[in-house]
Amino acid sequence: MSYNKIVKGNSGDEKFFLGNETIVRGALESGIDVYTYYPGTPSSEVGEIFMEIFRDVGMKWVESSINEKVAIEVAGAAYARGASVMVGMKNVGLNVASDPLFALSTTHPKNKNSALVILVADDPQQHSSAVEMDSRYYLKLFKIPALEPSNPQECLDFTKKAFEISRELKLPVILRTVTMVSHSRSNVVIGEIKRSKIKEDFDLSKEFNVASRLYFLELKEDQIYNRLNRALEMSENSSLNRFENMNVKNEFELGIITSGVSYSYVREALNFLGFKAPILKIGFINPLPAQKIANFLKQFTQVFIVEENDAYIETQVLAIAQKNDLKVKIHGKDPFSYSKENSSLPFVGELDPTKIALALIKITNITPKIDLNQIKGKKYEILGRLPILCPGCPHRTTGYAIKQAITKIKSKTGKKVYFYQDIGCYTLLAYPPLSFANVKYCMGSSIALAQGVAHTNGSLNIAIIGDGTFFHAGIPALLNGIYNKAPILVLILDNGWIGMTGQQPHPGSDIRYYKEGYFKRDIKLEDFLQGTGAHVSVIRHHENNEQDYLTRLKEVIYEKGLDVLERKNLHVILVKDECIQKYVKKYEPYVRYVDVKSCKNCGLCYSQFLCPAISEKDDAAFINSTLCLGCDICEEICPNNAIKREEIP
Amino acid sequence: MIFDSYTIVITGLGGQGLVSLLKILGNALVTKGYKVITSETHGLSQRGGKVTCFLRFGDMLNAPIPMIGSADMIIATEKSCILDVLQYARPNKSTKLIISSYEKSIINEKYPSENYILKVLNENSDNIYFIPATNIAVKLVKNLKAANIVILGYILRFLPLSEKDIENSLKQQFLGKDLEINLKALKEGQNLQ
Repeated sequence: MSYNKIVKGNSGDEKFFLGNETIVRGALESGIDVYTYYPGTPSSEVGEIFMEIFRDVGMKWVESSINEKVAIEVAGAAYARGASVMVGMKNVGLNVASDPLFALSTTHPKNKNSALVILVADDPQQHSSAVEMDSRYYLKLFKIPALEPSNPQECLDFTKKAFEISRELKLPVILRTVTMVSHSRSNVVIGEIKRSKIKEDFDLSKEFNVASRLYFLELKEDQIYNRLNRALEMSENSSLNRFENMNVKNEFELGIITSGVSYSYVREALNFLGFKAPILKIGFINPLPAQKIANFLKQFTQVFIVEENDAYIETQVLAIAQKNDLKVKIHGKDPFSYSKENSSLPFVGELDPTKIALALIKITNITPKIDLNQIKGKKYEILGRLPILCPGCPHRTTGYAIKQAITKIKSKTGKKVYFYQDIGCYTLLAYPPLSFANVKYCMGSSIALAQGVAHTNGSLNIAIIGDGTFFHAGIPALLNGIYNKAPILVLILDNGWIGMTGQQPHPGSDIRYYKEGYFKRDIKLEDFLQGTGAHVSVIRHHENNEQDYLTRLKEVIYEKGLDVLERKNLHVILVKDECIQKYVKKYEPYVRYVDVKSCKNCGLCYSQFLCPAISEKDDAAFINSTLCLGCDICEEICPNNAIKREEIP
Repeated sequence: MIFDSYTIVITGLGGQGLVSLLKILGNALVTKGYKVITSETHGLSQRGGKVTCFLRFGDMLNAPIPMIGSADMIIATEKSCILDVLQYARPNKSTKLIISSYEKSIINEKYPSENYILKVLNENSDNIYFIPATNIAVKLVKNLKAANIVILGYILRFLPLSEKDIENSLKQQFLGKDLEINLKALKEGQNLQ
């Protein structure tokens, strides 16, 4: 499917592409050899597409790596050895990848074909992230060039440009997108796909040139005074940093500097206000074109800086103004005041055209054709809809079992029970009715958080982590706990896939159920855990067609939880129940219905178990047969045996 | 028809297939020669929560997100969701509000009353259309998932697209029985008065 969509088509054809699809096409048009990634919204589609097409297009290698650190190391070595490489991740993934990226940024490969583009997708407003994080300050730490596209067409052009820059300077180049660019779909004119110029042979000792302790400072000198210096020159002369509307004048002597998706919001806001202003649009976001910016500043008495999240450009513009002795009023986030009153735009949350129009109104005092504040002031009775787990989701069953088991533990021991969650769909167990505490830092943190409390308090501390997250960053924390004899209960919710980002495979995924699996070898979590020496219990849904899964699950959590409290043992319970999005076709061909005569309308199934397929109707529970996937758990929890099965029509 | 820019706001619940709706409509418009830009919601927000997407087409396109008070059409695939996005309706009440009669209530929360919803909608628009999309999908098409295509069939009368244009777009998205179901849903939506 993706092959026909992304790979077919000739130079000049027009496509209707998602920003992320366009990035794949741009990389193919740059002769890409290798793509490694760890899935993370909003960057995941790029890796999924590459995974699907790479053997057919003749790329050397694509992998969904175990985590971002490994992804960038695999990519970095391929780059140093002479390949054209891209590596993809979301913003917080860059934190995980940051350790090797320092040495990698300074490394100076000698092979002509070497190029490395790092796709980093930020998520302002944290639509699907644990934190809101602006990755651009990393550019200053790594000292590498970066480009930021503002729409799908630029995703194509900038990806190609990023490969060119990296190939010429021998520095990794970051391609930074945000959700509204990666997940925006628009008309895109494509170019020609290029074959890679990678050579089979290379000289490890001469070409690799990795920045290690021996030559680090030497290479760092070269990185800053040679390669970064040339990057600055490129940025000054690049059409990616361009002036717009320079012939228009406004009475406020106001110019605007902006980049990325904010540029499109600025144009929308100006259009709405009927207000004209010259714009400096920055696409080459590191190093910033300091001279070009100074030349722009000189022409105005006030300049408005528009960018998502942090004041990355604004802080540098303030410095550039000082360095050039320019008296110009800078409007934006006012990075030196941390005050809402002084700033025109917020540090927190996603921008949109309306926020920018309101800021422009505040700066200029012009009157808009419609009263935006009046519209914003209107409030309606809105239902607070929280995201919920899918019908048939195994996490709902596990959450329900945990809740019941710990109620029993609490009443038996009088001890308190605390939960530590991780990154995954099961985070939703934090919402009512289960309301588990939502305590987490980042990928893999749950197991260590539980240890930190368990060593200092006599309560029962339970870490809940998914299989994908466990592979990604949970393994060191578990080994740490086993080694230190931490009295904790670890529940690994093994649904077989990286569920939240779209069921991508991880090392434990069953190789029979994905195309690329043919070339892989899966690592059985139960074998791995047995090897650690921890007390391990494995429990499977649909084992031997048993109907008492929930009961078995409750019992094992109760028993092992008690043992943690009483004997201070570390227990791991591996709950194996596959992601419903993958499993859906394998369920037996029954849906459930409510026998109204037996139903006492106790509400357990729709208000405690909270399956979205079940609701209340005419004083009884009602199962929507088009939503029910036949997981059979409601059948087991119903105290009145009112839930029956019927064949799928 | 020539448009500087035409803005559609689409709101509903995660899992209702809003992204597919955007793709089908967007594809048809692109094939017809329009410039189109959409914004989609992926990831965790897919699952059950409220989702708002935008589709804009025309010659003067800028951002994937429109200004508030500037939408030409707002579609809600779940009734109460419309209350979330009324800020995009034009103050002159010209925005078309297309609302599915489908109601998804939440345990322990009071669903807004029919009277309240009607009152609020009338304050915001003179062009309100209620579509029994899920009823039609379940009763006539025998597939709940086709509800969005019923709505798509209905709004065709307001857009510069023919039945053929959408049919071609559906053919790119679906095959076999799914295609048949969606073509039927499209017809039912078009035939609605």
